[in-house]
Amino acid sequence: MFGSKRDKTGASGRGTDEALRLVKVSKSYGEGESAVRALDGVSLSLGRGTFTAVMGPSGSGKTTLLQCAAGLERPDSGIVMVAGEEMGKGSEAELTKFRRRRIGFVFQQYNLLPTLTVAQNTVLPLKLAGRRIDKAKARSVLEQVGLAGRLKHRPDELSGGQRQRVAIARALVTEPAVVFADEPTGALDIRSARDVLHLLQEAVRVHGRTVVMVTHDPVAASYADSVVFLADGRIAGHMERPTVDAVAERLAHLGDDINGSDYAAQLGV
Amino acid sequence: MFALAMRSIRQRPGRFAATLFSSFLGALIIMTFNSMHDTAAGAGVDDRSAETLTVAASVVGGYGSLLVFFAVASTLTVAVRQRSEEIELLRTTGATPAQIKRMIVGEAVAVALLGAALAVVPAMFGGQLLLDVFQDSGQVAGSVEHSFGAIALATGFDITLLASVGAAFLAVRRAGRAAGRRPGRGRTFFAYAALVAGALSVSATFLLDSDAEIMMAPPAYGAILLSVGCALFSTRILPGVLSVLEGPITALAGAGGYLTVRNMRQRAAQLSNVLMPLILFTGMAVATLYMQGVENDTVKASGLVKAADAKTLETLNYAVVGIIVAFCCIMLINTLYAATSYRVREFGQQRLAGATPRQVLAMVGAESAVLTVTGVALGSLTGFAGIVAFTTVRTDQVLPGQGLGIWLAVAGIAATVTIGTSMATAWRQLRTPAVEAVALAA
Ligand SMILES: Nc1ncnc2c1ncn2[C@@H]1O[C@H](COP(=O)(O)OP(=O)(O)OP(=O)(O)O)[C@@H](O)[C@H]1O
Ligand SMILES: [Mg+2]
Repeated sequence: MFGSKRDKTGASGRGTDEALRLVKVSKSYGEGESAVRALDGVSLSLGRGTFTAVMGPSGSGKTTLLQCAAGLERPDSGIVMVAGEEMGKGSEAELTKFRRRRIGFVFQQYNLLPTLTVAQNTVLPLKLAGRRIDKAKARSVLEQVGLAGRLKHRPDELSGGQRQRVAIARALVTEPAVVFADEPTGALDIRSARDVLHLLQEAVRVHGRTVVMVTHDPVAASYADSVVFLADGRIAGHMERPTVDAVAERLAHLGDDINGSDYAAQLGV
Repeated sequence: MFALAMRSIRQRPGRFAATLFSSFLGALIIMTFNSMHDTAAGAGVDDRSAETLTVAASVVGGYGSLLVFFAVASTLTVAVRQRSEEIELLRTTGATPAQIKRMIVGEAVAVALLGAALAVVPAMFGGQLLLDVFQDSGQVAGSVEHSFGAIALATGFDITLLASVGAAFLAVRRAGRAAGRRPGRGRTFFAYAALVAGALSVSATFLLDSDAEIMMAPPAYGAILLSVGCALFSTRILPGVLSVLEGPITALAGAGGYLTVRNMRQRAAQLSNVLMPLILFTGMAVATLYMQGVENDTVKASGLVKAADAKTLETLNYAVVGIIVAFCCIMLINTLYAATSYRVREFGQQRLAGATPRQVLAMVGAESAVLTVTGVALGSLTGFAGIVAFTTVRTDQVLPGQGLGIWLAVAGIAATVTIGTSMATAWRQLRTPAVEAVALAA
């Protein structure tokens, strides 16, 4: 397991520097003959303050992995632990309450509420959680993403890049243990994408957040500290301090390799 | 473009269920009442029977048709407005505004024709039943045969088509102007026109003899038109209501209430389309039920009719009025269902932002409560205008002696239906997982 070297304090988790741990998480869609095994016993562990990219061919289970880890989908089996606490399998309300304090999510399609302003969208998770709205902090998060001048705008008055920055501010405002981002730059031009990637990087380096980001783009992946490769719903490799070329190279070969777990074994991860 | 319209109907029949249902029900009501005209024109119908049938057809059939017109129009407006994203997509893929207009209007024509066609056979039975009611009460000779003819068919198809096409035309024009949130000048014009026409219609009551057969028609028409005017103006009324209710809403519904207030401020135009059937229901129910009550008392007091006959007459009239009120109520449910079921994506986004299902329901509940308060207040006002005019002319009093019972019942039904339908529909939407809900094509 990747995190084995960081995993000194054991499984109890509290006070560990482990932000996320998945143990043999599986998830299938559909039933019987047509069932698709989107995740096939995925285990991984990510330390606090890390920036991880998840890569793999289309349909390899990246989105499923993120959504299971974030409590947006329920895995069929396996354990998800966030900041040392196991995610329950209870009702949607219970899962929502678990997510509120621990998890931020950034979607490719932003998912901002069209009727709320930038400022209102940003503090919405706090509002919903019944937490005190620290105006100064909300403002500083929006300053951090460079939108302090647009607090009163509505999402439809912003560019895609600006919307994504609002979404990032919204994900950061609750100071979650892990921020998940599913192709956050997928709909953006190069410049806006770079801004977004810098923001995520800054959240990790400056503010000590933990970020897990799905991407298809080797350039985006190179902003991360490490890359996890996924193929056919299994972990198919791992790379520390990724560079654009190395990631592109590995991706090109990922397609050749059918049995992902063997690949992982070869790599000794 | 008509082919495109037909294809889009065939591929997503669910989307058209609400509009199809309202066209069907509207045509059914119109054809049922207007077949009394056909029946009255039949051979060998005696004068008294013919007169009863004609009065029923022109009074109730008349304002019933006007009601159907606006009810169908409001459902269609709700449906088209929900599709602004699809319309935007079509535009960006190269469809000209004229092509888009033809597609939306084409769909409306197809759905209205289908709805009216489906209503023909049920309306034949409905007309037969209505005639039976008249015959049972002795108002129409037992020998009269029900006839379903040209008048029933023509009015049924024409009014349903006109309402659908007119609403589609206006709605697609508005959807085309997507970005502009300001209510258009057309809307303001229609609102004033409806209010003026309504006021004139109510005033026309005073020109009638106090025992004219058609006494109930002008105040009923007036109440409908005033209701429509109020619904169109509600985009301006709602913000005021909201600023008064903001405190209680957020206190009672918490974060859900917070969303309610923000949402309703932004979506005033959409909400006014939902308010239309609510105001119409309240206005019509209050106006017709009170007027009927006054009428019954006046007939009884006059002593011109034997007590037993007065009783049957009363039952007959309540049955007829009941059909109209029930129609309004079903239309209200239909529109609320359509408007709420389109919001699955919005609910999904709220849940992804950290709202529990309960908070989403609280938001919908608070929103419906505000709608109920606004709709019942405006509807009562328009109904009241009709009642006062009727009572003043028919009796020597200004206010009916019926007490508040009817009003309380109507308000209670309005509240139950509005809050119940919205929350039940939202509850069903919440069973779709949030990530799927936001991925659904809007
Ligand atoms: N809701 C669903 N119902 C059925 N099958 C699904 C569903 N979601 C995902 N799948 C299937 O599960 C597998 C993994 O999907 P997933 O979305 O996780 O892939 P991905 O790696 O994110 O792909 P992409 O790079 O294209 O986004 C795919 O085969 C997909 O078809
Ligand atoms: Mg994906």
